[in-house]
Amino acid sequence: MEGRSRRRGRQKDQLLERGEDVDGISNPSMDSETEAAYQTFSQTEGESSAAEMAEEAAEAEHLVKDLKTRRRQRKKALSKLTSPKEDVAGELKSMRSTSRQRVEDTIREEEMATLSAEETTTAPIPPATEDGLATLPTDESILPTEEEIKATEASKEEAESIERAEAAPSAEPPDTERSTKEQPGTPRAAPTGAEAGSKPFGQSSMRARMKERLAKAKEEAEGEIEKEAREERDRQRSLRAQQPDSRYDAVTEAELERTTEEKQRQLRLRWEKRGQAPPSDKMTYMPTAEEAFDFFTRVWEPEPEEKKDEDKEEEEPKPSTSKTDADEEETEARKEAKKDEDVEKAEDEKPLLDDADYDEEGYGPTAVRRANITSPDKLQEAEDKLLFIPPLIARPASEKVQEQLEPRFLEEEGFYVGVRPAVSARNKNKMENRLLREPDKGKQWFGEDGEMIVFPDPLRPTPSRPPMPEEVEPYLETVFKKAVMREFDSRYIDGVLDGSGRYQLDVDVNSIMFTHHHLFSREHVLATRLTQLFTQYTQRRSKNMVNFLTDKLRALKSSSLHLQEYILGHKGEMSVVDRTNYEKRLQDYKFEIRQTRSVRDREEQMDRSLIKNIIRTWKELRSVREQQHCTNTPVKLQILKETVDKAQDETQWQMDLEDEVEEAREEHADNYARKMLICNEQMEKWEKQQAAKRDAEKKLKTGRRGSKASKASKGSKGSKQGSRTDLQDELGEAEMERYQEILNEEDLPKPDAPEEFDENAARDQIKAKFMSIRRRPGEAKLYPELSNTMTVTPTSDCPRGEQNRREEVSRCKLFVKVLFNNKEVSRTGNRPLSQEFRVTFGQIYNLRIVQWPESIKFQIYETQGLSARFLAELYAAIPEASVTSQSVQLEEMEFSSDEKLEFGHDAVGSGVPFKFDATASILVTLMTSGTISTSVAWGVNEDGQPLVPPVSQSSVTNLFAAMKKMDPLAAIGATGVVNMEKLSKWFQESRLDPNDPANADLIYLLGSRSGESGPREFFRLEQLQEEFDLCSEADFAANRRFQMLSLRDREVAEFRTAKMVPPFEREIPRDAFAEYERKQREEDRQKQIDDLEGVRQAHSRYVQKIREQVIMRFRLASHQKRLEDMVVEEAVPNIAMLGISLMRLSEPRRPLKPLRKERKKVTAQAIKGDEVRILVNIIRATNIPIRKSQSLAAGGTTTRELDRKPTIRNIAGETMVHPYVEVMFQRNTVRTSAGDGPNPSFNEELELPLKAPNDDFSPNALQGVQDYIYLNLFDEVVVDILEDDRERETAVHQRLEKKWLGNIRIPFSTIYLNGKIDGTFRISTPAVLLGYTYDHTQGGGGDADMPMEQSEEITFLSLFITIEPPLIQPEAVKERFDTNEDEKLMQFAERWQEDLQSLHPRRHYKTSVIDVNGKNVFLTRYFKALKPPPEIEGKANETQQNDFAARYVSLIPFVSDSVVFPGLCDIWSTCDQFLQMLAGDEEEHAVLLTNLFLGLGRKAYLLLGSAIPEGTTAYVLTEDSGEYYIWNSATGKRYSVHDNYCPLQSVGCLVNNENVWANVHQYEKPSQMDFNVNSTASWRPFFGRSNPSPGLGSIQPEALIYHSPNKNYVLDLQEKIEQMLKNKIMEWRSRYITRWNRHCTQIMRRLLPKLEENCGCAMEQQDLGELEESFRSYKVSGFPVNVPFVDLNTIVEAVFSTGVHSQETSDIEFALAVYVHGYSNNVLSIWIYVASLVRLR
Amino acid sequence: MAEVHVIGQIVGASGFPDHSLFCKWGINTGGAWKILAGLREGQTQVDNPQNHEAAFFGHPIDIHFATKGIQGWPRIHFQVWHQDQFGRNELYGYGFCHIPTSPGTHEIDCPTWRPTGSFMETVSQHFLGGGPQLKNPDLIYSGADRYRLHTIAMGKVHLRLGVILRNFDKFGIEC
Repeated sequence: MEGRSRRRGRQKDQLLERGEDVDGISNPSMDSETEAAYQTFSQTEGESSAAEMAEEAAEAEHLVKDLKTRRRQRKKALSKLTSPKEDVAGELKSMRSTSRQRVEDTIREEEMATLSAEETTTAPIPPATEDGLATLPTDESILPTEEEIKATEASKEEAESIERAEAAPSAEPPDTERSTKEQPGTPRAAPTGAEAGSKPFGQSSMRARMKERLAKAKEEAEGEIEKEAREERDRQRSLRAQQPDSRYDAVTEAELERTTEEKQRQLRLRWEKRGQAPPSDKMTYMPTAEEAFDFFTRVWEPEPEEKKDEDKEEEEPKPSTSKTDADEEETEARKEAKKDEDVEKAEDEKPLLDDADYDEEGYGPTAVRRANITSPDKLQEAEDKLLFIPPLIARPASEKVQEQLEPRFLEEEGFYVGVRPAVSARNKNKMENRLLREPDKGKQWFGEDGEMIVFPDPLRPTPSRPPMPEEVEPYLETVFKKAVMREFDSRYIDGVLDGSGRYQLDVDVNSIMFTHHHLFSREHVLATRLTQLFTQYTQRRSKNMVNFLTDKLRALKSSSLHLQEYILGHKGEMSVVDRTNYEKRLQDYKFEIRQTRSVRDREEQMDRSLIKNIIRTWKELRSVREQQHCTNTPVKLQILKETVDKAQDETQWQMDLEDEVEEAREEHADNYARKMLICNEQMEKWEKQQAAKRDAEKKLKTGRRGSKASKASKGSKGSKQGSRTDLQDELGEAEMERYQEILNEEDLPKPDAPEEFDENAARDQIKAKFMSIRRRPGEAKLYPELSNTMTVTPTSDCPRGEQNRREEVSRCKLFVKVLFNNKEVSRTGNRPLSQEFRVTFGQIYNLRIVQWPESIKFQIYETQGLSARFLAELYAAIPEASVTSQSVQLEEMEFSSDEKLEFGHDAVGSGVPFKFDATASILVTLMTSGTISTSVAWGVNEDGQPLVPPVSQSSVTNLFAAMKKMDPLAAIGATGVVNMEKLSKWFQESRLDPNDPANADLIYLLGSRSGESGPREFFRLEQLQEEFDLCSEADFAANRRFQMLSLRDREVAEFRTAKMVPPFEREIPRDAFAEYERKQREEDRQKQIDDLEGVRQAHSRYVQKIREQVIMRFRLASHQKRLEDMVVEEAVPNIAMLGISLMRLSEPRRPLKPLRKERKKVTAQAIKGDEVRILVNIIRATNIPIRKSQSLAAGGTTTRELDRKPTIRNIAGETMVHPYVEVMFQRNTVRTSAGDGPNPSFNEELELPLKAPNDDFSPNALQGVQDYIYLNLFDEVVVDILEDDRERETAVHQRLEKKWLGNIRIPFSTIYLNGKIDGTFRISTPAVLLGYTYDHTQGGGGDADMPMEQSEEITFLSLFITIEPPLIQPEAVKERFDTNEDEKLMQFAERWQEDLQSLHPRRHYKTSVIDVNGKNVFLTRYFKALKPPPEIEGKANETQQNDFAARYVSLIPFVSDSVVFPGLCDIWSTCDQFLQMLAGDEEEHAVLLTNLFLGLGRKAYLLLGSAIPEGTTAYVLTEDSGEYYIWNSATGKRYSVHDNYCPLQSVGCLVNNENVWANVHQYEKPSQMDFNVNSTASWRPFFGRSNPSPGLGSIQPEALIYHSPNKNYVLDLQEKIEQMLKNKIMEWRSRYITRWNRHCTQIMRRLLPKLEENCGCAMEQQDLGELEESFRSYKVSGFPVNVPFVDLNTIVEAVFSTGVHSQETSDIEFALAVYVHGYSNNVLSIWIYVASLVRLR
Repeated sequence: MAEVHVIGQIVGASGFPDHSLFCKWGINTGGAWKILAGLREGQTQVDNPQNHEAAFFGHPIDIHFATKGIQGWPRIHFQVWHQDQFGRNELYGYGFCHIPTSPGTHEIDCPTWRPTGSFMETVSQHFLGGGPQLKNPDLIYSGADRYRLHTIAMGKVHLRLGVILRNFDKFGIEC
């Protein structure tokens, strides 16, 4: 029972100390030992006194139980901590082990029983196990306490056990020896070893051993407990603390006992033996003073606890006192140890402060001592003593494991061990080392595997938070954008630059095959021809049209026959309708048969001729081969003959022939019947006519006779009768006339009867046809067969010429350039041309594109040696989106080159006529041509997705765009439509198919409307908005203040200047919007009404449209401020400037030559309304025409009377002319005082106020001013109107009349943009100036080199015009416009221009301009030869043509760009736009004129420069046989370059379609220049050798479309102008009566067209003569005015400015004639001839 | 028919990593608002202060609203851009604030933020410039679920706005 319970206890123990139990095998000694212990126990039980044993056992059991409970607790605690799995595993293990244990136990019990005591003695191991426990003092301390318990029992059996031990003496000693030897590893083990050794040595009794075992078991348990509970540790520590004391007690008591015992045993041999061993052990132990020290320090460490321990000690005195005979061995060993300790203690107890020193030096207050230095070594030593620094080295696991010999690794055994938290090895080692130094060697800290016990890593490897979905809402999406420098224009495909799109074009250049090449030999030409013919032949044969048509013919015939039979068979049954139907069908058949036959005949003929051709060519080829004694081509023709049965052929032939003849007959029969019918009809008519004629003739004869009779009777009979007979007569006459008519009627041709069918003729005809197109019967069928089997003669055997040719061919290489959007993107390698004239490239180029493809071009080049020759260029189509490189197939594209090449050798060249042989008569000319097989397709990426750019250019990025997509109205393009009613109405009216899916959107939209079921329900985002509204939308609209504010903000012209808007609505004047609304209405009306000026309106509307477009484009740009607008930085004066101003001081003063100073500009804000004036300084005029002397010229005489030179001057001193200048601007006029003579000097400064629109002097507003400044030159004539000569002495009664002599018209914009105008201008004088002539004796210009005629007719005026104060000029938008040009080109252009500008800052250079689309366009693109208007054909010679072209262009109204596009830079429109707008400034005129000149084949350039008065302008330069002429395109005038009076002041550059030449002359005046652009010294070309022209295409249209003028419109206009002018003149002189001289008007009307014919220049003498003749009695002054047609107002203005009306008298007559000449495209020339006539008295 | 007149300026921006900045701004209103005069949006110049910790724009804002109601009170939103030494522009921040509803002069600091991209984007941004931008800039002032957006705080835009209100009292709105 006891044993079992004990065993159970063991089992429980095992549960806990699994390692131990499980490792039954690993340390069997342990097990066997314990078993032995049981055995002995049980044995002793039997042997010893039962009571004692029971007592002992009970005590032991009690202890064990105590242990057990503790373990259970611990286990519980542990089980909570350890993972369940571990627990289960442990449980299982323990279960298994217990069962095994039991089995073993039973076995062992049996064994033990047999083996008895002997066996037990063989268990000396306990000391070994005790070693481990006893190493530390704590263990030692435990040991005695346990032993104390057993001490009593043990002592009782001492004797017996000794005896027993004696029974087996021989076995034991070596065992113990061994055990000591086995444990020498650690020096510390030595004392315990000794201790242990002493135990069996001392006692050597079974009982003692058993006791030891018990103790050991207890110790184990103790160890466990210590490991477990921390609070227990305190107790342990107290125990530990008390031990020394208790031991001391024990030792003293035991010592006595031991001495007695020892005496008893002294005799024994074993004692001696043993006695020798222990001392040595002790000796090894003793020297370790450190150990001892440690021992003590450890013990004494917890001072305060000592007392407690002492208390405990007192509590537990019994066990210690009851301890009787403690083991002597131990005490012995201890005793010696204690002795040492005592010695040490004694030393320690020495006083710390050495009083001796003090004593030595006396008791003085001070003492001099040495510095108390402890040597570092000592310090180190002391430190070493005091401090414990745990080493960092890892300790072997075996050290850390306690009792077990080896560490167990649970993991290796297959258990799950939790993951340890990661701790650095260094830290771990440190901790382990420290723990190992703990008294219990930290055994409770170490697990069985020798590792520190740790909780498993609490961190989970996976996050415990639920995963968040990663997808981002589209709304929140972000895009990574690169840092951007600039935006690209629309040529780029969207998204490419962000890297989101990748588009690729695959261009495959496969091969080139030449159908003709300049290196072809004659044979090659023929071979190619033969090949071509043969391919044609094979194609035809595969189609086999002849057979098909023959079959068709047969089928048609049979069906027609069938039908015919059917009709015949069922004639009776058929109704009329049916019959006609059938007959119609039959007719159709017949027609079809005829058609098919003719087609078949044609086909047959072609087949035959083809074969003939093939054979002929082959023959030629053979002859050529023979001729040249070699073969160049492998072409070989074989003709297969198929013999045929002649008889069969014959019958077939005959049958066909008959067939056709029959058909012909039938056809003829049909025709015949029809013709017969017609013939009969005609015959009838003819007969009738004949009869009628005959009848008429008869009647006529009789009638004549009758009338004669009546006439005769008329004379004799009275008048009474006469009336009746007259009546009769008349009747008869009428009849007679009728008869006469009948007679006179042309005879109808007598119809010929249709011919009968001539069968023979028809047969012959058909036979002939057959002969020509058909294989004759019996003739063999021929099948040509072409093969490339002919052997080509090796080069060495060829004649010289051929050798050369072949050599050249082999040297010839080809490559192809691929151009994308006109940029070369790749080129193939140079591939040699094969002798067959075939080049294979087989290369595919993948073009990654970022721009929208505009063109894909191939350029074929041929290289021979180093130079490459351009052969041909051809465009490939841009592939559809569906064409990808996977689906594309190679395409053959033909090309040809018009290059001319000729060779010395056998090659035929290209573009050069040649003969096949000397005898051949035909010359052949062939051009190089061939086919290239290529393909272009969209690339495909790895995933097979095509890399095609999206079709729509608009990027759909945001939600709103997508929403727009859903909008059905947007889908049909009617986003703005709000009026649903109208829409639905329209929908109903237009009857769209509701089932058409294209209309689905509309149906959907209107679906609910059809029901008209109340208001539509919308989803409102801002619900309750209306409820919270403060006011309604209508209130907004009605608020005039708001209106005004927003209009002002929109910069509407009327409100732009409204600086202040009243704060209250009531303060706004009622009429504030009147003008604005009127204008709006007008605009609306303008859009609707098409009045007489309609055509003109169309143009102006077009202008308006363009203008709006352009303004829209530029408005934003103009609002953007540049740095200069914001930052005004005045140049800091530097020393150089100072120097200049100092220099100025020293300059000679020239008060008589004042210089104009630069004035400060005034901003628009600083100007008040009436301050701004235009200053006109008129200096002088030269060569003014003079009056014709009254006496001489009685009537109107002209200036042109060259024969009648005004030699006689008025000697009486009467001036020839009193000229003055009147300046008119905005209907304000000022005038100079009248000068004297033809060359007056005025030197007057005139001031004119400038009215800006809306008093807005901002540049924007001023640019829009369209007014002109008219400078009119008048002659002031004093007319004496004194009626009475008697009063002459006393009264002066005169009238001043002004006669218009000419004018200058300067647009305000010119003055404004140039700031000032200074110079001598030519006054435009009318072609005919009645009453005036030029004074040739004085000579205006008087230049010797000028032709007299020219100089004498020109009047000049020197003047200076400026604006005071100077206004700020508008600055052109200096934005860099985007361009479609090549980037490189533009950069080069910029550099080029900068270079030149730095050389000649004053000259005007330009390379690119802005077109109406706001894009930069290179200048040369504007030029292209254009066909002039058709009227030019009437012109005889070149000069006239030129003049006409210039005139045509000059008749297009001139409107400054600044007027059309205010605030914008100079915009150049193309010629078609120009003609469409019918308005433009110098550039447009000049460009058109240049292009027309180019179209006429002249050499013309556009000349950019500056002129007066225009400033920067464009002229045209033409070259005519070395003579250069400058044309002013706006006036149509031509100047020689040597003309000093040419308004052109400086030349900047010349441009035409090829190049731009910049003037780098020393001079810039045209007369000083050389216009030969080839001289590089004076002209620098843009495209030169270094920068070859890329061949820029023109942006001009292919051709100008001219539509002829509308005659009616012209006439209408003419009338209207005349009417209006008459009214106006009458209105202007409303105070007087205005009389019109019709006669004069008539004459003038005749004159005007002639003026137009002569382009307003020359005037025929006799015409003027006529005029003069008619008005001898009048004093006539008048002139024709010629203006281009802009609108009526300008014409009125022009007439008004001449001041014709201002003849302040009533006795004057006026004559006014208007002539409008229309040219193509509504270019109108308007002539107005106004004259005033005063009757001479 | 109440009127709101906002006159003021974008004074500047501070607290950004670099101060070579410019700023795009715009004013967003509800449907009841109508602009009578002035510009609804604009862009300042680039200010590159040499020795200041802030960029100064002094960009005028002058806009005159008429409104039917007070819903959708105008708010002003910003995009602050940075111009680096190569002249390239990159986004530095978004921000928005309401226009004050009380009359008088107001000093407003509008904090800005910028979306953060992925790690790679951040690296690329560090070396190459550029940066993630909102695909839909309306998000700046709309109250969508922005919590998923990862952003970094950037600096502040300083505004000085004078607000003039008119006729609100007529409709019983006290300002």
